[in-house]
Amino acid sequence: MRTNDVMLQTATKVVTFIILMFAVHIFFAGHYTPGGGFIGGLLTTTAIVLLMLAFDIPTVKKVLPINYVVLTAVGLLFAIATASASIIFDVPFFTHAYDYYDLPLFGETSLHSALLFDIGVYLVVVGVTMTIIQTIGEDE
Amino acid sequence: MSLQILLNFFLAFVWMFMTVSFTPSGFTIGFLIGLGIIMLMRRFFSKRLYISRVWALISLFLLFLRELFKSSVQVLSIVIRPNMNIKPAIFEMETELNDDWQVTLLSALITLTPGTLVIGISDDQKRLYIHALDFEDIDAAVSSIKNTFERAILEVSRA
Repeated sequence: MRTNDVMLQTATKVVTFIILMFAVHIFFAGHYTPGGGFIGGLLTTTAIVLLMLAFDIPTVKKVLPINYVVLTAVGLLFAIATASASIIFDVPFFTHAYDYYDLPLFGETSLHSALLFDIGVYLVVVGVTMTIIQTIGEDE
Repeated sequence: MSLQILLNFFLAFVWMFMTVSFTPSGFTIGFLIGLGIIMLMRRFFSKRLYISRVWALISLFLLFLRELFKSSVQVLSIVIRPNMNIKPAIFEMETELNDDWQVTLLSALITLTPGTLVIGISDDQKRLYIHALDFEDIDAAVSSIKNTFERAILEVSRA
């Protein structure tokens, strides 16, 4: 029996954006407070999975035409590039650097190269989990 | 479109409550991040992204500034010419704009650029009567207005 899931779909349309917003917040919170790339990536995945539950996989593929395998590869590239960039500056592999910058809007902010590594983690988590869920979901 | 702007504001406030930063800069950061998320999910909306309409509005303003400068120079060259052999004329222009604000905006833009002046609009709002200071060719005059202002206004109002 096909039920009318208008309530689920309407709620999803708003809730997805809030989850994505929270994912961004958690991602940037990682340095001083609980959070980081892994949980941020998982939260992003939950938002996309919620879309998939409320609508269907073809719709979500049309909304987000992302090849998640490529996304995983890009994330790994980010991680390896951040780790190996330290070699150029003649310091051991995986040495991070940070400094304080006066950004507009944010005020004085410390920019840490660990953030770039975290972006890699984030992309890999989103890519891998979405690949798993999509592969299982499309299996007839 | 207004729904997207409302959602963007809502996300900005969600961000302010999440980060406990009730400052203008916190709002701006939340607004920008929300804009990024809305742009990521742009295919989710049936209408086009509201930011593209904002951009169309900005480009209309820049177009107006450019036309204002160009025609001001033209009028200046007419005024300082020693023998003023100009050919003033009144011509009719058909417009495909429908809404009241579109016709008003087009008329205002035509009037504000020196050299041309809207002196009347037909009752069915389909034709504008324009006075030109130095007139050479009706097709050239009509097509120049159509290609600049009318097209830009249509771009702004496209759903």
